[in-house]
Amino acid sequence: MESTMQQRRDEIAAKRARLAEIKQQRLLRKEITANRASMGSPSELAQPTPSREHQKRDLDAIINSVLGDKDSRPSSTGPPGSPAGGRATRPTSVISASQLSSDNEARTSSPAPAHASGTGMVDRDMQTLAIAPLATVFEFDAEPKKEIITYSKGVQTSTDWTPSKSRGVGDSDEERDESPTRTPRASKRMSRRQKERDDEIRANIRKEIEEEQKLAQLSALDAGAAQGGSKENFPFRTLTNEELNAVQSSDEFFNFVERSTKVLERALDQQYDILADYALAGAEVDEEDEGYGSAGGKKGRRIKEVAQFWDERWSKKRMVSDLGFSTKFPELVLASYTKNPSAPHDPDGLIQVWNMHMHDRPEYIFHAQSDILTAKFSPFHPNLIIGGAYSGQVLLWDTRAKSAPVQKTPLTGSGHTHPVYSLDIVGTQNANNIISCSTDGVVCGWTVDMLSQPQEFLELASPPPAKTDDMAVTCIAFPQSDPTYFLAGTEEGSIYPCHRYDRAGAKAGVDGRVKYFGHAAPVMSLDFHPAKGAIDLGDLVLSSSVDWSVKLWKVRPPAATGGAGNPSASGAGAAQTVTPLLDIAREDLVYDARWSPVKPSVFALVDGAGSLEIWDLNVDVEVPVQKVTPSENQRGGFAGMPSGIGYMNRSLNKVAWERNEGRKVAVGGMDGVVTVFEVGGDLGGTETRGEEWSGVKRLVGRLEGEGVK
Amino acid sequence: MAQDAPNETLSLLTRLSQKPGVQSTLVLSRDNGAIVRTSGLISNSTSANPNSTLPASTDNAPDNYGNARKESGIHSAEDVASMVWSFLSSAGKLVDGLDKDDEVKLLRLRTKKNELVIVPDPKFILVVIHDTPPA
Repeated sequence: MESTMQQRRDEIAAKRARLAEIKQQRLLRKEITANRASMGSPSELAQPTPSREHQKRDLDAIINSVLGDKDSRPSSTGPPGSPAGGRATRPTSVISASQLSSDNEARTSSPAPAHASGTGMVDRDMQTLAIAPLATVFEFDAEPKKEIITYSKGVQTSTDWTPSKSRGVGDSDEERDESPTRTPRASKRMSRRQKERDDEIRANIRKEIEEEQKLAQLSALDAGAAQGGSKENFPFRTLTNEELNAVQSSDEFFNFVERSTKVLERALDQQYDILADYALAGAEVDEEDEGYGSAGGKKGRRIKEVAQFWDERWSKKRMVSDLGFSTKFPELVLASYTKNPSAPHDPDGLIQVWNMHMHDRPEYIFHAQSDILTAKFSPFHPNLIIGGAYSGQVLLWDTRAKSAPVQKTPLTGSGHTHPVYSLDIVGTQNANNIISCSTDGVVCGWTVDMLSQPQEFLELASPPPAKTDDMAVTCIAFPQSDPTYFLAGTEEGSIYPCHRYDRAGAKAGVDGRVKYFGHAAPVMSLDFHPAKGAIDLGDLVLSSSVDWSVKLWKVRPPAATGGAGNPSASGAGAAQTVTPLLDIAREDLVYDARWSPVKPSVFALVDGAGSLEIWDLNVDVEVPVQKVTPSENQRGGFAGMPSGIGYMNRSLNKVAWERNEGRKVAVGGMDGVVTVFEVGGDLGGTETRGEEWSGVKRLVGRLEGEGVK
Repeated sequence: MAQDAPNETLSLLTRLSQKPGVQSTLVLSRDNGAIVRTSGLISNSTSANPNSTLPASTDNAPDNYGNARKESGIHSAEDVASMVWSFLSSAGKLVDGLDKDDEVKLLRLRTKKNELVIVPDPKFILVVIHDTPPA
């Protein structure tokens, strides 16, 4: 009983050894066919490999090492050290004839089915070898149980043999140690038969390789020029001048360069070194917190320039007319520009969308036929940009489209016929309108989908006391809460409340009963408080004017303007004049003033002297907490000019806050350079304290009290 | 924008190659690996066409490469191209092995001395070698 079991085991072991050989051979062959496959198919990514001579030598070496090892050490199936050992089959697997055939099937359905016909013949050869009767004793013992498991893993899933290499080698070592006594007899028997078999195998492989090489040569000749990338002539074939020109002028190439250079510029502009080792760089301590002299001061109130955007080709000789951050992608800053008077062939209107992560080049460029005077990202659709032009057109661009506007209003009398300096998108995500306003006092409402005709048309006229009906509107502003009501700033300096629709007690248009009077020169900007906090401050409005001042207003709610709550206001026909809560005189023309989107008491303004000022009403109502000017670098429209003229031209036109966190402020002006600053934690950032809100409330109450006195 | 594409691409590539720290740029064709454009690399080729290259002679290429690397950090375009090519193809195999439907979008290879950024595209490959802050 014991001996028969032993005999059986021996037989199994022997069979296994033989099969291992066959598999090895097959793998070799497979490798070759795989090589041939990659040579043969031009679409595949060819990979550089040694020349064919080299290949042949390698193959011979592999065969010799595989089979030569066998001769000297016939009993070991998976020679651990041999080059083919990497692909050695697992020595512990047992395969019957039927299993073998199933293995063959599995193999022919393996990754290179195109060569199945060529491999059939070889398979048959191998099968002949496999069924030769043999009673060989193999040197090591194998446990049948384990073997079956291994086999079911290896063959039934028909995966490659390579991954199990290390385990196979380890197993064979162990098992060889277990049964040292049987080795001599087994090896004697093995060696004779194996020699014969090895010779046969060797002959087969030789033949095969020769065939492969013939085939490869043929295919290389066939493919020739068309398939220049095959590994044989890897240091590629030379492109001729004609081919180069053809490639380089193709649209594909252009699009590729456009895309890939953008990616690369972002990659190169990424300033943070992710491999930084702070342990090593102990000497160079980052001193940025202290380093900004003029902008220094208390840490939370510091301000720091983080980027400047200027493009030699497009920004030259243009002025920044508007700025805006994207709400969806806070790293994108939009800048609209006026025309370049010295380049009549370039489009007059220009919008560049800058990326905070790409310093030298705009992410997108959009054009228009006429100077763009105002532009902003749609807050409801991340891809859309709306703009107003000097020609009176309202334009719509899509970042997924080309540089031309995807929609624009026609140049007819139905819309604006005067420059559009101010527009806004109001409403909700699902129902929003573009409201635009031109300098002749015409306010139009448009749907985003249809710009061919205005949905609403409203002509603002000066209320009775004025000498003429004409009203020159420079800017409009909507409160957060009510899209049917807005303020309009005029060239004469007054600010009027307006209704979009008829309502009880007031017709659509200018509400003549209230007039916010204080500015003595054109109003340049109006901004409602963003009011997102504990206390509603949405009735606070900031206005800036070229009369060198910024004023803070408390706006009456539209329903109360003529109502019983305000009896003194409804004097028949006579407009009630409201004076500002706070009048902040500045040292130059103030072109723009904007509330911080997150801090209730903070706002930013830019002036004709070229400085950006950050104010915090809770800290001081007479001096700004920060005042900085964009650094004068070598770029910019007036970079080379003497400082006198440069000073004049360094005026800043627009300021914009990053909408989500309020940490970044962008400014731009006459020289066409967009500069982005980052403010400290006291001036920006989402964490606001309750007392900031109540502080503003208290201030407003105090100011109101003073006004009454 | 849409005026003459060749000039536009030229200026884009030129600007890229002139960015601070950029040592060399290389544009390869994806399907046959032919060098379309290079900058900052020495070509082994003596061809009159500065943008096209002849196959490097296999005998002296390794020498040149070794010397060049030691002396100036400038390699021959063909060597870089072939190395990038094989790197990209093995990266492609890796990605393929992980997920058949996936593909390589960007390769950034940091070395002690510099960084290779490789942008593979269906038709072309853009390679930039640039200095990195010493770490």
